[in-house]
This record gives sequence, structure tokens and C-alpha cells, in this order.
Amino acid sequence: MENGTELSPEESLKVIQTMINKTKDSVADDSFYFLLWGWLVFSCCITQYVLKIYFEYPHHSAVWFLMPVGGVVSWLYGAKQSGKQKVKSFVNESLEYLWMALAISFIVLVFINIGSGTWQTAFTYYILLYAIGTFVSGCLIRFRPLIYGGLINFVLAAVSVRFSFDNQLLVGALAILISYIIPGHLLRVRYQKHKK
Amino acid sequence: MFKELDPILHSQLRLAVMSLLIGVKEAEFTYIREKTNSTAGNLSVQVQKLKEVGYIDVVKQFKDNYPQTTCKVTPKGIEAFEAYVKALQQYLQAGQQQS
Repeated sequence: MENGTELSPEESLKVIQTMINKTKDSVADDSFYFLLWGWLVFSCCITQYVLKIYFEYPHHSAVWFLMPVGGVVSWLYGAKQSGKQKVKSFVNESLEYLWMALAISFIVLVFINIGSGTWQTAFTYYILLYAIGTFVSGCLIRFRPLIYGGLINFVLAAVSVRFSFDNQLLVGALAILISYIIPGHLLRVRYQKHKK
Repeated sequence: MFKELDPILHSQLRLAVMSLLIGVKEAEFTYIREKTNSTAGNLSVQVQKLKEVGYIDVVKQFKDNYPQTTCKVTPKGIEAFEAYVKALQQYLQAGQQQS
């Protein structure tokens, strides 16, 4: 792009439109976090269910100690990505703050559940948080599978209170499959298509 | 009465840089160069001009032992860009009325 050429108003407008479109097209690969947390939580739900129901293993909830591992992997990946990131959009920043707030909410919720000793509604609130995170993320990055996943999770959160804790593990697995895993894989496909 | 188009923004590369930065929080010099298809030397001169008039902030730092230059539009830059677009609209509307 040269600089000395005299611009007509139409040419100026074209320059503005072209550059704004170029930044709009820079789709980031956000699928990593959805797939990491999706598969991790899904595996934990199913494993706990199997250990509790079929093996009657008393320490079935120990599977959730894998969550801090997910936290460390996310942090390492995020640090590596921020080094590579050449542009920071307002959408990226909003997503960072949203998920930071949700991560804190998940941790706070664990303490509330431990403190009160009531785990009956634990999954209801976790699913509600998945719904908020995926719905807002989907709207911000304009990705319908995440929006639909989030909306379905709002319904699943309301329905989950009708189930026993054991069956809530399966509802939780279904919720994470719909809101994280399926949209996560579709998001990866979209990113790879865009890269080509 | 037409408003005069801001001479700082009424230049292809500087306008491109401002249009790019207006939509993001911040961008690295290499990213801007890539998106504007400009040479490092030319871009560097134009970035310096935008910085001198206070339209952008330029932060130079080291990241993983490599120099990194990050550019960010300032509130004054946003104001100037908005005024430029408004003036541009006036010219375009006048052009449509004449034709």
C-alpha cells in the first residue's frame, strides 16, 4: 500500500471498509478450551457415575481432582498463545473476562457446596454457568452451535433439579456434550476452513 | 459548507492503519504491516506521524528477547477518525445529489 496517492472520498471509504473487514476476519482458534474442558468434565461425570453406581467405590468424587490439572493446562496454553497473538480485539478481551469470572464462579460454587454439604443442586448451577458462558461466547463470536448449546443448557439446568444426584451426573455429561464438545469440534472445523 | 478532510488521515496508508486499529484493542506492528501490504520503512514513518499528532500510542518492548512494537488508537484518534468519516459522508452525499 502506497501513501503519496491522492484519495477520492470513494477511495477513502473503500480503504476503511477493506481494513475493517480484514480485522473482522481474524478468527481465533477458541476451540481448544471448549474441547479441553468439555472432554475433561464429560469424562469425570461418566467415570464418577460408573464408579458410584457399578463399582460402589466410596471415593468416587475423587475424579474431580482432575479439575486443577485442567486449570494448569489452560493457563500454560493461554500463556503460550498470548506470546503468539499479534492483535487483541475487544471480543477477545470480553471473552477473557467472561471466562475468568465464570472460572471464579465454579471455584466459589465448589466451596459453597462443600460448606453447605448439599450437592443435590450442584449440577443445576454448574449447568447454568455452562449456559451463560457458551451462550454469551456464541453471541460474541457469532457462532450458532454455541448459542444453541447455551440455550439448551438453560433448559437442562431447570430440568436437572428433578433428577437424583446420580442421574444429574448423566445430565451434566449431556449438558457438556451439547454446549462444549459438539460446538468445540465444529468451531475447530470452522477455524481450519478459515485458515485455508 | 464542507468540512476539510483531516490531512493526517487523508492519506492511504495512514487511513488504513487507523481503520485497522479502530476495530481492535491493540495490534502489533508486524500484523499491521501484513494487513496493509506495506513496507516496514514506509509504515514506520506513517506510524510515527500518527503518533506525533496523538492519534495512536506506540509501545516498544521486548518479548521473549525479540523487540515488539504495539500500536493502539487513542481517544483523540477515535475523535479524529469519527470526524473524518462524518466529513467523508458529507462529500459522498453531495456527490450523490449532484449526479
